[in-house]
Order: sequence, then C-alpha cells, then structure tokens
Amino acid sequence: MAGDNHRFEFRATLSDLEGGLDVLHASIDELRKVLGRDADDRALMFFETAVAEIGNNALLHGRVSPERPVQYVLHSDAETVVAWVLDSGPPVARHWVREMAPPTSEAGRGLALARSMLDSLEYERRGQLNLWRLVKRL
Amino acid sequence: MSLEVETRQAENGVTVLAPVGRLDVAGAPALKEAIAQLVGNGPPRVVIDMEGISFVDSTGLGSVISALKQIRGNQGELRLAAPNQQARVVLELTTLDRVFAYYATVEEALAGL
Repeated sequence: MAGDNHRFEFRATLSDLEGGLDVLHASIDELRKVLGRDADDRALMFFETAVAEIGNNALLHGRVSPERPVQYVLHSDAETVVAWVLDSGPPVARHWVREMAPPTSEAGRGLALARSMLDSLEYERRGQLNLWRLVKRL
Repeated sequence: MSLEVETRQAENGVTVLAPVGRLDVAGAPALKEAIAQLVGNGPPRVVIDMEGISFVDSTGLGSVISALKQIRGNQGELRLAAPNQQARVVLELTTLDRVFAYYATVEEALAGL
C-alpha cells in the first residue's frame, strides 16, 4: 500500500515553451526524489518522455498566453503516477494515433511515442479546452 | 534550459558536435543550425557526441533525421555516440535505431569514419 511519504502532488501553470518544459522536467525530478528512484528508473523515464511530448504539444498549439496558460497537475502514490494537461488550443484531431511516422519523417512521432510509453493516455475535448490524462504504473 | 552545441575537429578530420542540454522542441534549432554550418564545405563526416544530452524528445529526433538527410545529401556520413539510456529507449521505440548507427563512445564512432 502506498504510504503517505510516497504521495506527491504538483501543480503549475505554464505560459511559455522553454520555461514550461523546465517546469515539467523539474516536477519529474522532484517525484524521483520523493519516490527514492534514480534517473535510470524506466517507469519514470517513460513517463517523463510522455509528459514532455504532451506538454510541448500543448505549449506549442494551445494558444498559450499569460491569460490562458497550460494547466499541469501531477499526482503520484507509491503505485501509480498520473498527469493532467489542460490547454485552450483547437481540438486535437488525430489524438488516437498509435502508428509511428516512417523512419525518414522528421515529425509526427510525438503522440505515438507518448502512447507507447504509458499505460493509459486519454484525451477529452471539454468545452473549449483540451484535457489529457497520462497514467503510468510505477 | 537551451541546448548549447560545441564543435571540435578530431585528429582524423571528422567534426564532432557535442550538444549539452535537452535535445527537445526547444533545443532542436541549435543542432539544426550547427549542422547547417557544416554542409556545403565538402562531404561532411560528423559524429554527434550525445554524452551531454540529458533528454531527447520526438522533435529532437526529427532534428537528427534532418541532419542525416543533409549530410548524406552531401555525400557525408553521420554517427551518433554515447546516447544515454533515455535516448536509446526513444531511438528503439521509434525504430530509428535501424536508421542510425550509434556507438558507445566517441572513439568507437570515430574509428573507420
């Protein structure tokens, strides 16, 4: 069972690409410390990669401004880590994509890569917002 | 954290690019710029020393594919050296490990290039 000392919650608003990515990575680093895991822990490595892919997509396409930042929430216990990413961008048309782009393609791998690294990646259009939920068992 | 790219020449004339930081959507333009400076001066032979790269995302990978296209388009050759575990996992999951030869060390990548 998860002990309270393994519970972790982090919330942030992200309003620019580079600073936003710094916050996303810093949140996973903090989670590693709380869980006592090192940089080569595969579950958190996979989760961090997926969070960065979904996060940078939101920061790039989410019509982000100081008035409409990306909302990011990270929650973990000893068994599962979950992230929510909320942005104000247009609907994501191909959110179900699983196929990797061909090897010569320079783009188009982010969603498939994120999905391959998670136990669950859910997308929901909620009013004028995009809501992503990322889940990884630890 | 932006990506900084150091450039040096190895004894055999191969150019070694050594990026430091995250090779991600924010850092990829710096690698593209470094590659653009190499092509056009004869067939470039290039090793990207990935030891200083802490994290790679799909856009960062795209910049390496772009580099490979430009270098091969100029009859050159590109090798990757010393990717960390996260970079190797991303290369494998995207099947790009079949496209890129990567080596454990820069010295191994330089051998025979």
